[in-house]
Amino acid sequence: MTGLLDGRVVLITGGGAGIGLGMATAVAEHGAAVVLAARRLENGEPAAAALRDAGHDAVCLRCDVTVREDLEAAVAGTVDRFGRLDCCIHNAVGGASRPVAVEDVEPHLIDDLMATTVRASFDLAQVAHPHLVATAGSFVMMTSAAGMEGSPNVPAYAMVKASQRALAKSLAGEWGSSGVRVNCIAPIAMTPAMASAFRANPDLESRLAARTPLGRIGDPAADIGPVAVFLASDLSRFVTGQTVVADGGGFLGL
Amino acid sequence: MDESATPHTVLCGRGDAATGLATALTGLGHRVSVTDPGDPTIDAPADMAVFVPVVPSAGPTPLVDLATADWAAAAEAPMRAALAFARACRPFVGRGSVFVAVVPTSAMGGAAGFAATATAAEGLRSLTKGIAKQWGSDGVRANTVAVDPGLLLGDAAGAAMAAGSSLADAALTGSGDPFADVAGVLDTLTAPGARFVTGSTITADGGVWMAP
Repeated sequence: MTGLLDGRVVLITGGGAGIGLGMATAVAEHGAAVVLAARRLENGEPAAAALRDAGHDAVCLRCDVTVREDLEAAVAGTVDRFGRLDCCIHNAVGGASRPVAVEDVEPHLIDDLMATTVRASFDLAQVAHPHLVATAGSFVMMTSAAGMEGSPNVPAYAMVKASQRALAKSLAGEWGSSGVRVNCIAPIAMTPAMASAFRANPDLESRLAARTPLGRIGDPAADIGPVAVFLASDLSRFVTGQTVVADGGGFLGL
Repeated sequence: MDESATPHTVLCGRGDAATGLATALTGLGHRVSVTDPGDPTIDAPADMAVFVPVVPSAGPTPLVDLATADWAAAAEAPMRAALAFARACRPFVGRGSVFVAVVPTSAMGGAAGFAATATAAEGLRSLTKGIAKQWGSDGVRANTVAVDPGLLLGDAAGAAMAAGSSLADAALTGSGDPFADVAGVLDTLTAPGARFVTGSTITADGGVWMAP
């Protein structure tokens, strides 16, 4: 569209579907080459093929973010293929999203949330860092308004998502002198998981929309994508340690 | 809980910070039981359940130089331990009880060189809000008390952490007993006057961190 990201390379974990694919689509439309790091090739491969069919530079690399070697391979594969890494977005998340009481959170749920969010951000930050320094690039993690508000439904998910904001602020301080920016996005958008929640609970979508000043649920590419474009581009060159809330105004606490 | 009786406080923590806060609370008239975050156990109703994360007292380390085991210990273990403590507490808290997480102010501001500790701290703050929402219908409150990092890390690392945070100078001089300064806030949270305070973060650092 604009060429804003021409020559830039963006790696997105969980890029094969949902918000990850929406952000990948948006940055590709602005000229970036994108790497969809996807645990499920059956999602990531067709998504990358569709982006290529639309005239973009896109590849899918298989990547389970809970395996450090997979993250190393994804970053190395990105640099092998495209020669650089300008923006790394950690978007993948695991763990069941059904409501659970704090005192009933099962060990395997804690393990999933820790591995996909807290540990994966640590691993990806370490692995991507030298490449981001080389490009004075941008590191982005996904957080959630639930993390900031506290969640009556998914308190453990909210906990690990909230933790990403303090990590972003800390890394902003550590990496600023290298010109690397670190930020978070707190999105609300229609994902496969949200769509299935709406199917199970038909009133949910209208109730959620009614509580949102802009009156609707976001679209991954059209509504969240531009935030990723902003954070991947020089337009955000003086923005670091921040959380961009892209949720139609539902959360007003910042 | 009987307001006239000696308040029973269960404190989950280890090391100087846990000992200092337990001693200060005892001085304020609390009966304090200390339980270890490795295996938190409670055996009596609690007026207050305080979680104090175990924070490594190592000096600043850039995240790129941090060993995975050190990340796990500083970032992940406190969040896991807080969930375990909350589970252990649940049968022993009821109307009037308050759950409190004590965290460094770097939860809100981040801290270069201490990313893991800040990461855990902000997670704990969110968990406390979740507990406030879930247990509120039973009359249980949950709040965070954010303190000078030195209280949890020790003075040397705490000063380094403050230097790595977007923090200003303190507006107040402390009493000279930093544990007593914080214990007073914890004690206040058990008082009837705090019965409508939940899901909140109270910063007790002498006015260093003043962001909302």
